[in-house]
Amino acid sequence: METSSRPVVVKRMPERLNARAVRELLRDVEPFLSIDRPQLVFDLSEVQQLDAAGVEMLLRCMSEAHKRDGDLKLASLSEQAAVVLELTRTERLFEIYETSVDAVRSFSGFLPNAMRQQLLHKRPRTPAAA
Amino acid sequence: MSALDIRGLILIDTAQAGLPFALAPLALLDVAGMSPLERVAERLQRQGVSALTVVSEESSASRRYRPLPQGIVCRSAARGRFWRVAESAFNDLAHNGADLVLVIRLGAYAEVHFDELVQFHLEGQRRVSQVVWCAEPLEIFCLTASRRNDAASLFRSRLAHCRCECELFAHSGYFNPLAGPRDLRQFAIDVLTLQAETGPAGTEIRPGVWVASGASIEKGSRILAPAFIGASSQVRCGAVITRCTSIEHHAHVDCGTVVENSTVLPYSYVGAGLDVAHSVLGMGHIANLRRGISVEVPDKKLLGQVSPAWRRELLRVAGRLPGRIWQSIFGDVPAPQPPLQEVARQPSPEEDAMGRPAPALGVSPRDAKVAGELASDLAVARRYGNQ
Repeated sequence: METSSRPVVVKRMPERLNARAVRELLRDVEPFLSIDRPQLVFDLSEVQQLDAAGVEMLLRCMSEAHKRDGDLKLASLSEQAAVVLELTRTERLFEIYETSVDAVRSFSGFLPNAMRQQLLHKRPRTPAAA
Repeated sequence: MSALDIRGLILIDTAQAGLPFALAPLALLDVAGMSPLERVAERLQRQGVSALTVVSEESSASRRYRPLPQGIVCRSAARGRFWRVAESAFNDLAHNGADLVLVIRLGAYAEVHFDELVQFHLEGQRRVSQVVWCAEPLEIFCLTASRRNDAASLFRSRLAHCRCECELFAHSGYFNPLAGPRDLRQFAIDVLTLQAETGPAGTEIRPGVWVASGASIEKGSRILAPAFIGASSQVRCGAVITRCTSIEHHAHVDCGTVVENSTVLPYSYVGAGLDVAHSVLGMGHIANLRRGISVEVPDKKLLGQVSPAWRRELLRVAGRLPGRIWQSIFGDVPAPQPPLQEVARQPSPEEDAMGRPAPALGVSPRDAKVAGELASDLAVARRYGNQ
């Protein structure tokens, strides 16, 4: 999904977010984290089991994204994921949205005014706007 | 009341609501140190009910953490035969000379004044009396023991109705339906805030803080009243236990964890650095009351189970066994170590008792041994070595 000049990557998390799944997931996500200012959304709607390794992976991805001036946001948390994040006191570290769409939109919402003006000028004019 | 032979019959079946993850029904789960069953039994005995019989399903009977108090006969029944066994237990009580039988089905916990109930039953010359709370009938009955057919109709309908009319005895005291984790938590709050007549089963070490025997509270942890710390449980350093939290027996709260308004079930482990609030947790599960859901947490680092002491010892011994067998077969037994004190007495050939090279002082190592005869001498020698 693309909202501004840069793409936002939405990744749906698997049902079990344990140590084994984390290794595969990191392999998948790594290319998106290594770019400049990565914008990621993790959709946790299908997560039924989340353990300490899963939470650690989320924190690690967020930290990597922050290092490159980007951000990682969480969306559609399942009840199980929400309870474990609350239990591990990590829910306050993430920006959490009801849906993936809301999370993706939020990336454009935090653009500096100067950049937003630039984007508006770039957009093709519709007849109504003209 | 003393002239009459009044006996109690307590029924516990798994048809009653419980925690979605706990193996035992709520009536057998500890709340501030005692299960509702033990509390009811204690109350009955205190009010003069001499003999008690508990009928429970086989599955739940084996999941009690502690044996029942003395003077209580326990009968277990297969799932399909529960009500037959209950009826048979009633008949046995009647046969053994009981005048009145109080039948209580747990689940719900009510602090009924049984002496008043018996008085009500006798004054009206009633056959069956039933307790009601706010017009809601409870499964607590007083039956005349000789009326076996009335009892039979009651048991065969699973306490739903009786062939004769049940007179209603209004109960206005404490009542908790104990129908789920929310009720269990509320019961703990009521016990700790002394809303109920029954109290926590521990010593009040500070106002509002009860601690049972063998509990270990490490330095640096904080217990804020009201709270209960169960027998042989462990609260590690940096942990905070607050707002009507009940840590049941043999539970283990690890370092830095905050437990607020929660119940930690017996033999449960709560990992380090967690934030537990408004929950009932144990057996690798957590019932979050705010969200109204129960979640399995398979990670043992977060939530786990503490095995009983005998099982831990057994595992420790079993773990050493292969090494012992290996040593006995291949004879690779290490030489026995001399006692530490003897080792300390032996001087190094190059050093004296004070740790300085003996030749440098012009003293032979053999003479230096005298100075270091005792461990205390060594300490003295070190302290005054320069003089």
